[in-house]
Amino acid sequence: MNTFKPVLTEYIDQQDCHTLPFYKSVGGYTALDKVLKMNPEDVTKEVKDSNLRGRGGAGFPTGVKWGFIPKDSDKPKYLINNADESEPGTFKDRLLMNKAPHQMLEGMVIAAYAIGCHTSFIYIRGEFYKEYKLLEKVVTEAYENNLLGDNILGSNYSLDVVIHRGAGAYICGEETGLIESLEGKRGWPRIKPPFPAIEGYLQSPTIVNNVETLSCLPHIVNRGAGWFKSIGPEKGPGPRLFCISGCVNNPGIFEEPMGVSLKDLIFDRAGGIPDGKQLKAVFPGGSSSAILTANEAIDVMMDFEELVEKKSMLGSAGVIVMDETVNMVQACLNIARFYAHESCGQCTPCREGTAWLVKMLTRLVNGGGKPNDIDMLFEITDNIGGLIDFSKGSFGKTICPFGEAVAWPVRSFVEKFKNEFMEYLTQEKVVA
Amino acid sequence: MPLLKIDGKEIEIKSGTTVLQAAEANGIEIPYYCYHPALEIVGSCRMCLVQVEGMPKLQVSCNTFVGDVPPERKVDGKYDMVVDTQNDLVVQERKNILEFLLLNHPLDCPVCDQAGECYLQDYSFKFGNAHSRFDEAKRVRPNEYLGSQIVINHNRCILCSRCVRFTQEISGTSELFVEARGYNSKIAALEDKPLDNLLAGNVADICPVGALLSTDYIHKNRIWNLKEQPSVCQDCSVGCNVDVFSQRDQILRLTPRENHDVNGYFMCDIGRYGFHRFEEIERVTQPMVRNGESFDALNWDKAIEKTADLINKSNGKTAGIVSPFHTNESNFLLGIMMNGVLGSLPPITKKEITYQSGFRISADRSPNRRGMNNICGEIVADLPSEIKARAIHGLYILDDGVDRESDDVWKEILAKMDFVVVQTYAMTALARSANIILPGLAPFEREGTITNDRDRVQWLRSSLPKKGESRADWEILMMVMKALDKEEQTFADVGQVIKVMGEKFPAYKGLSFFRLGPHGMSLNGKASG
Amino acid sequence: MKSNGKLKQRFTFSDLERVEQIFSQYPDKKSATLPLLHLAQSQEGYISNSVIETIADLVDCHSAVVMDCVSFYTMLYTKPQGRHIIQVCQTLSCSLNGADALVDHVTDKYEIKPGETMANDRFTLMKVECLGSCGTAPVVQINKEYHEGLSTQKFDKLLESFE
Repeated sequence: MNTFKPVLTEYIDQQDCHTLPFYKSVGGYTALDKVLKMNPEDVTKEVKDSNLRGRGGAGFPTGVKWGFIPKDSDKPKYLINNADESEPGTFKDRLLMNKAPHQMLEGMVIAAYAIGCHTSFIYIRGEFYKEYKLLEKVVTEAYENNLLGDNILGSNYSLDVVIHRGAGAYICGEETGLIESLEGKRGWPRIKPPFPAIEGYLQSPTIVNNVETLSCLPHIVNRGAGWFKSIGPEKGPGPRLFCISGCVNNPGIFEEPMGVSLKDLIFDRAGGIPDGKQLKAVFPGGSSSAILTANEAIDVMMDFEELVEKKSMLGSAGVIVMDETVNMVQACLNIARFYAHESCGQCTPCREGTAWLVKMLTRLVNGGGKPNDIDMLFEITDNIGGLIDFSKGSFGKTICPFGEAVAWPVRSFVEKFKNEFMEYLTQEKVVA
Repeated sequence: MPLLKIDGKEIEIKSGTTVLQAAEANGIEIPYYCYHPALEIVGSCRMCLVQVEGMPKLQVSCNTFVGDVPPERKVDGKYDMVVDTQNDLVVQERKNILEFLLLNHPLDCPVCDQAGECYLQDYSFKFGNAHSRFDEAKRVRPNEYLGSQIVINHNRCILCSRCVRFTQEISGTSELFVEARGYNSKIAALEDKPLDNLLAGNVADICPVGALLSTDYIHKNRIWNLKEQPSVCQDCSVGCNVDVFSQRDQILRLTPRENHDVNGYFMCDIGRYGFHRFEEIERVTQPMVRNGESFDALNWDKAIEKTADLINKSNGKTAGIVSPFHTNESNFLLGIMMNGVLGSLPPITKKEITYQSGFRISADRSPNRRGMNNICGEIVADLPSEIKARAIHGLYILDDGVDRESDDVWKEILAKMDFVVVQTYAMTALARSANIILPGLAPFEREGTITNDRDRVQWLRSSLPKKGESRADWEILMMVMKALDKEEQTFADVGQVIKVMGEKFPAYKGLSFFRLGPHGMSLNGKASG
Repeated sequence: MKSNGKLKQRFTFSDLERVEQIFSQYPDKKSATLPLLHLAQSQEGYISNSVIETIADLVDCHSAVVMDCVSFYTMLYTKPQGRHIIQVCQTLSCSLNGADALVDHVTDKYEIKPGETMANDRFTLMKVECLGSCGTAPVVQINKEYHEGLSTQKFDKLLESFE
């Protein structure tokens, strides 16, 4: 029962939905035309007014971020489209790139115009080769049709788009790690200050925006900030692509307004849990969020503020469903191992802490549990990620949010399923 | 100027200073590893976290800059920033970070060179836990040579990346890099491009733990056994400030000493390992007189008597050869003594090398050419012609101390001499051609001043005791001058020589050990030559 | 980092036009490093020391800096791999949907464990982290293509099509 009319994914079932002629036939690039006749500051104001928040994971207000670009700087400005989708449970950007690439591109040009940028990049994860080849064609098509390059649509504005492939590193989705990678170095995130909006790519003002965030822009321009704000809660509105995977009958992407109920997402849109099994736990916002137990999940509305209240986060809206057959300790180890593999190794707590967690959890799973292991798990996660209370502000100890990203899920597993962890301490080899 | 309150102390500091710099300058200790004043700030070790009022998250003090804030945002109405480095949160955090750093660190202190000067030891003792709670298998890797002079013990490395940044920013040679990522990260160098530039030794100095070690010093001694003597390097005319570590009569190692007017924080490997030269040469420690093809030892009185005799008999036809390897005082006294023709041996020049950061190794590999020229204004340009013109037939030479065969010009000069007196510390080829050898001190035994090629006078301190019957070079010259009846006064120590030197050469007036201090003094363009 | 043996010949790019095009896109030479590495790997199959030296020359930096970059990324290989690289995602959603069985299938049938290559160089097996297609778990990437929603049977048939 889906009553919300999709905005971003309206046409994804059509055969030529990715082509320029199709996109134009449904009103594509009219927003860009409108924007090129506006003042860049007014574009930024409109986006600010819409309360659009980033859809990459951090949820930072987009218009506010654009506003950080210094007005009096004569350095070139850069816009980077973050298509390095690597957060476990998230696969929406891939859909948008495959099925609505021009929508994303139009959003890029709008954003670039607003911040005064003339060279922009799409940083796409290296594994998305098919999508990369498609985007190459799309960008060429755009150049050939005066939608990129010099004097776009007859205006004074020019923009170049460069597609840059990553090479397999989750940390390159973090904005400063991405910038370092774009500069040809290893993806080690930078300390802040300075912030990318002041000193980013090549020490110049840089804005990094997610694929979905950019895809929202043409619609905000066409239908107005007021329309956007009316979808879902006002503080964090708009259509959102929710990704659902794990133990569900119909995994996939569902475009819903912000604030949709998690119960609806799992049991209605995604068809519920196979074989009549019970829900045990769920990640609401990608693997970097704290898990919710079935009891907690049942009345959660999926928006930024509500999830913070529930001591988790909306993040990338990647919902991973775990049913009663899933061994929580194994799942915890799986997630910890992901983070240990992807840790960039630059700062002490993350580099040493993630490996410690994996070693400890592996030992636990293999029957070598020791009495103070549970307490140690709490301690280690606290030492890496700090006090987990997002509402009070992040307390992390690391250069980038990776520390919090590993601490929150692991801690939530141990906290909410302590009994399963305890079982490993008292039994010999427990078979999952 | 912004007002910072740190641990209750009120400090006024320049805008743009970091909290860490402010704390250090005011006697508050904040531990850190990855920060180094000469290198780019990375904030990766997380050891310097402090509590800044108004920010719930702990901040790295190495990257927290203090600046003026608008009046309405000042804390308590007057502070631009309030910092607490001692509260429970910070104290606990330091313990946690240290625990993480020690996870894989082996308990190597008994066999690790860094013991006694190790920041992991010191901070563990001051800020850490008494024991580790790590109960898993440690990551173990074998040692590797990163270059011929530097070995790395990966297990001790805390990945502060100072060494990598050093090769990128200071030497500009980029031999070191971080390999792999996460837990598997390690410092590496390409097999065909090892760490062999002339600043390589510095990475072992800046490594805060015992991971990077100097192969020259490894396992030779313990830092607490050694005497530490601040002095100046004598292997080129830059005059880097150094600390000489010795035990009894042997030098174990040199490390750079901070001097922002000369060498910054670093020194080159030529100077660092140059002291080995003195372990291998044939030392002269007794006055000697030629007897046919060999030499006979004699006592000082006889040697001085014979020398004075030869010089007096030459009726003013003796020339003095000063040396850019000797101190100003020795050159000065020879200048007074000879009062006539002065020259010097051929210069030793190699390549001038400048590194990306501006660190320089000068082409002139003698430490005191500038001083020599300042103090002996009468050095002739064309020595052979002057010798011919004035019919010089005797030489008193302050030997450079470098064993080299004379070139044709000098072979000719020496062949024409009736007598040659060589004041030296080593049996160089030149000494072998002498009639009288007077044993002076080796470079690390000397005390006095030298002037670098940027007109900075620095005090050279002796690090080793005298050997045998050797005497200070200025003392020998004083004795000869006395025997020649030329001596104006008796000098009790080198400080008194400097006083007289200063009267004759105004630029050097008023210099003393205390005035020069540990970093020397610029002549401010007052001296010529 | 040990080299792979003495260099006999310097690596050169075969598609020089593409190299020029890459450089023209970026305001800074060093940004061309990653695209050039991808290009070299598609030409040679892996990143040898010679590739690193050539790229270091082109982007005007030291070889060690390029190697630093290469060793950071999982998609860049410093050793030759098999003809077909099987990358099975092992992160949560795929793990909950049978990814382990796929890995075991390869090990059982082709006798290689994760990280190993067959003696005849046909397959290299790798376990990788989230491939970004959790909705169609389990997902396997073979060379450049994604293969999604694989059952063991489908996977088996698929593998047979790779020589």
